[in-house]
Amino acid sequence: MRLSSANAYDNALQNLYARQSELTGQQEKLTSGKNVNRVSDDPTGAAQAERALTRLSRIASDNRALEVQRSAITLAESTLGDATSVVQRLRELTVSAGNGAYSASDRSSIAKEMTGLREQLFAMANSRDSNGTPLFGGLGSASAPFSDSASGVSFNGVAGQQAGTDVGLPTAMDGQAVWMNVRSGNGSFNLATGTSNTGSLWTNTGQVLNPTALTGHDYSVTFTVAPGVGGATTYSVQDNTTANPALPSNQPYVPGQAITFDGLSLVASGTPANGDAVLVSPSTTTNMFKVIDDAIAAIGNSTATSSQRAQATGLALTQIDTGMNQLQAARSQAGQWLNRADTIQSAQEGRTVQLQAEKSRAEELDMVKGISDFTRIQTGYQAALQSYAQVQKLSLFNFIS
Amino acid sequence: MSGIFNIGVRSLQANQAALQTTGNNIANVNTPGYSRQSVVVQTVQGQYTGGGYIGSGVDISTVQRQHSEFLTRQSALSSSVAASDTQRLAQLKQLEDVFQGGDAGLGSAISDMMNAFSDVANAPTDLSARAVVLTRVDEATARIRTAESRMTDLRRGVGSELASAVASVNSLAARISKVNQEIARTNGSGQAPNDLLDKRDQLIKDLNGYVQTTSVAADDGTVSIFLASSQPLVLGNSVRPVALGNDTFGDPSKAKLTLTQGSTTTVLEEATLGGGKLAGLLRFQNSDLQAAGQLLGRLALAIGTAVNEQHRLGLDLKGAAGGDLIRMGPIPDGRPASSNTGDATVAMAVQTIPSSGASALQASDYQIDFTGSSAGSVTRLSDGLVTEFSTTPIKIDGLDLSITGTAAQGDSFLLKPFSAVAATIATAFASPGALAASSPVAARAGSSNLGTLVLGSLATRSVPAPAAVTLTFTASGTYTRSDTGATTYPYTAGQAIEYNPATSTTSASGWSLTLKGAAVAGDTFVVGSNASVQPNADPRLNAGNALSLMALRDAALFDGSALTDGYAGLMAQVGVMVQGASYAADVSQSIANNVEQDRSSVAGVNLDEEAAKLLQYQQAYQASAKMLQIAQGVFDALLQSLGR
Repeated sequence: MRLSSANAYDNALQNLYARQSELTGQQEKLTSGKNVNRVSDDPTGAAQAERALTRLSRIASDNRALEVQRSAITLAESTLGDATSVVQRLRELTVSAGNGAYSASDRSSIAKEMTGLREQLFAMANSRDSNGTPLFGGLGSASAPFSDSASGVSFNGVAGQQAGTDVGLPTAMDGQAVWMNVRSGNGSFNLATGTSNTGSLWTNTGQVLNPTALTGHDYSVTFTVAPGVGGATTYSVQDNTTANPALPSNQPYVPGQAITFDGLSLVASGTPANGDAVLVSPSTTTNMFKVIDDAIAAIGNSTATSSQRAQATGLALTQIDTGMNQLQAARSQAGQWLNRADTIQSAQEGRTVQLQAEKSRAEELDMVKGISDFTRIQTGYQAALQSYAQVQKLSLFNFIS
Repeated sequence: MSGIFNIGVRSLQANQAALQTTGNNIANVNTPGYSRQSVVVQTVQGQYTGGGYIGSGVDISTVQRQHSEFLTRQSALSSSVAASDTQRLAQLKQLEDVFQGGDAGLGSAISDMMNAFSDVANAPTDLSARAVVLTRVDEATARIRTAESRMTDLRRGVGSELASAVASVNSLAARISKVNQEIARTNGSGQAPNDLLDKRDQLIKDLNGYVQTTSVAADDGTVSIFLASSQPLVLGNSVRPVALGNDTFGDPSKAKLTLTQGSTTTVLEEATLGGGKLAGLLRFQNSDLQAAGQLLGRLALAIGTAVNEQHRLGLDLKGAAGGDLIRMGPIPDGRPASSNTGDATVAMAVQTIPSSGASALQASDYQIDFTGSSAGSVTRLSDGLVTEFSTTPIKIDGLDLSITGTAAQGDSFLLKPFSAVAATIATAFASPGALAASSPVAARAGSSNLGTLVLGSLATRSVPAPAAVTLTFTASGTYTRSDTGATTYPYTAGQAIEYNPATSTTSASGWSLTLKGAAVAGDTFVVGSNASVQPNADPRLNAGNALSLMALRDAALFDGSALTDGYAGLMAQVGVMVQGASYAADVSQSIANNVEQDRSSVAGVNLDEEAAKLLQYQQAYQASAKMLQIAQGVFDALLQSLGR
């Protein structure tokens, strides 16, 4: 075929341009280390890389949030640990106050120490994280979830627990569940000696023998002492809710022996006077601070009889134990969250690695392939240049002299 | 004797002309549009003698232009298509640069903006976290505005290129008509005016570089040029100039090519223009740039609307209801067609009832055509989907179209819902305290709950928040609500409990609560306004709405993909446009190169060939000269013999 000289030059030049720009493009890829330099080179890959970038920045922000949450929960956990020690000390003091050898002034100084510890505990319940958010506010956003007044401590936060998410922890614990929901008595029923008792009667805190037989009724156990010296002591149990006797009347009373009815049992000790009573009522909800306040009041009361003190310290110890269990449960919950934080973090680290791999797969250059491509293109370009120079030397005019 | 001289002289003349033509070919080897010429020679009629016809030598019959009409036309056509595709690709590459990925891109700014709410949610008291949110909103909106202004720059650049291309078309048309005139003048000579023909072919080819034409030759040698297959641009030696105009809706962001013929102006749709730089520019401006503008506008409007809607459901540091966080210009009214006779106007707004329209928006313009005052059809211009309507207001793709005034039959409007938002989007306020991060609703678990119910999430659906409602569980899987008495509802852990006060049925209101864990009969949850659930709330410590704003990251906004993935989709869509244009440009350029090679193989000058011809004609010339020398010798011999 005939070739136009000018067109042949043009075509050869255009091919040289194309090879040159291919070489430059490959060089750009090599120097930038990226496969996608323009979105149009690979739109899907570019979109994938962009999505991976979005996910990565999201994980970074989730991780930053997790650190804040973790520090709040760590603080809550250590606060609960401190609270447990304080309550432990309160318990020891309560036990020591039961020592019969202590005088009224000894007990008064114990009560004072307990009051100080109680203040510490209250401050702990209202403690905040580094951002000023209360640790025990529950679902609420009150600035101080607990308030103390003459009628006792009340919870101003909102009961309830925020759930953690897949990538985060709650930042506050439910103050209601941690500090407030302490069951009175042994958790099932309360035992109290009658206010007009004249004998030296006291009881333990009782125990549940058969949960299904419990009625939740009020009972009164009334003691009768036969007149005359050495008269027999008997007791009768009346169900005050149904106004029926719970046991046949006039059971013989043996100090230290269990009195059992309707699935519960209690042990009365001491010498009741005629007409003395033990009142049984279903357990109610009190709170950690009320329990301590009651114990302090009983220990500091200089007019109480020893049997009243024994009754009160016994009750206080049981209730302090209940409250302490609650604090420990909350502490283990916090510990579990902290474990979760570690799990979340390692999962997020795994995802980060995976996303970075995805991003680099989509947009980063395989260096080995890149260099080999570069060499191939370079060789092609070189061959094109050499052949161009040689072909252009050929002309018939060279041979016309 | 004189016969030999005559033959020799004729031969000398013919070969000289041939050498001159060859020289001319060599001289014009690089002249664009030059067709190689060759001298056509013929024998002169021989002289009759008794001994037969004795040849009388050679004569030049004409100088012929070597060219193929067909290949010349094909070459002009294919280079026209290539010019269109190349021009469009060059513009699209600039558009692609507007939508970069990576850290410097708009997508990363949007994602940072949404992530910033996480810091507020975790440290609601920290004013600097709130300030960071505002900075991030500022940054994201600024990048949207920058993208929009770069597109405006592109549009302006295309506008001035269009103007100069139109001027070139008119000047080329004028030159073609002048050459036509000259050719017509030489028509009677019987010889083809080779150089003028070459010049006209080249002018037509240059014109086709701007806009594809068809040409029809007339008997007088002139050629008429038509645009869009049938609209005359050059008729003989008269020209109808082209100009830039607007479409029937007067849309300033689009340009149309118009031809004025007498008093009537014809608008040429770019789809009918075929190839040429002008067609490529128009196609870029009227479809590619429009599509990118709609995508960006949709991104801005959808994100702005979704964020604002959620922000308005929160309370600021003073406990007041939030306003807009992102300020956007109003959606412009529909553009009436110039032929409208009614006085109707069409206003647009993002739908709010029964649910937010932010997630249903489609990146498209719309055309509304009335068949009556409140009936007709709406056409989505991106894919041509037609929706009939017979009542107003019209709900379409998350937009509410409301019509005021009376539309006449045949009236139409162009609706460009996304045309103004990207240029005007900005942060609505600068005070960190005005950020509505706290939630107006709260939930409270019963203080004696025995189950393991915990609060998964709580979101407000309306402000002011409704009064407290108590959910009381009657079993592990059912609960009753204090406002509906004994009616029981099923409970599944982790599934949202939606509460709509009975008074409102048209739009989302109330709240949405998600509980996790197991319920025990008797467990309760109280949900309602802050005042009714937690009177002691301190708005500085509440970050419920910041959590909801953060959760918008996963809101399905863009045809089902998440808010933070919206930009990746946009970027890929623009990338695909560029990729398609790049393939098209490669293909049409290579076709144009091939056809041009074919054309030039017929019409172009080959230097080796010319060198050979030089030798050929030189030898013939030398031989002719030798012949004269011999004739001279013969004549001298004759004279000498006579002189003796």
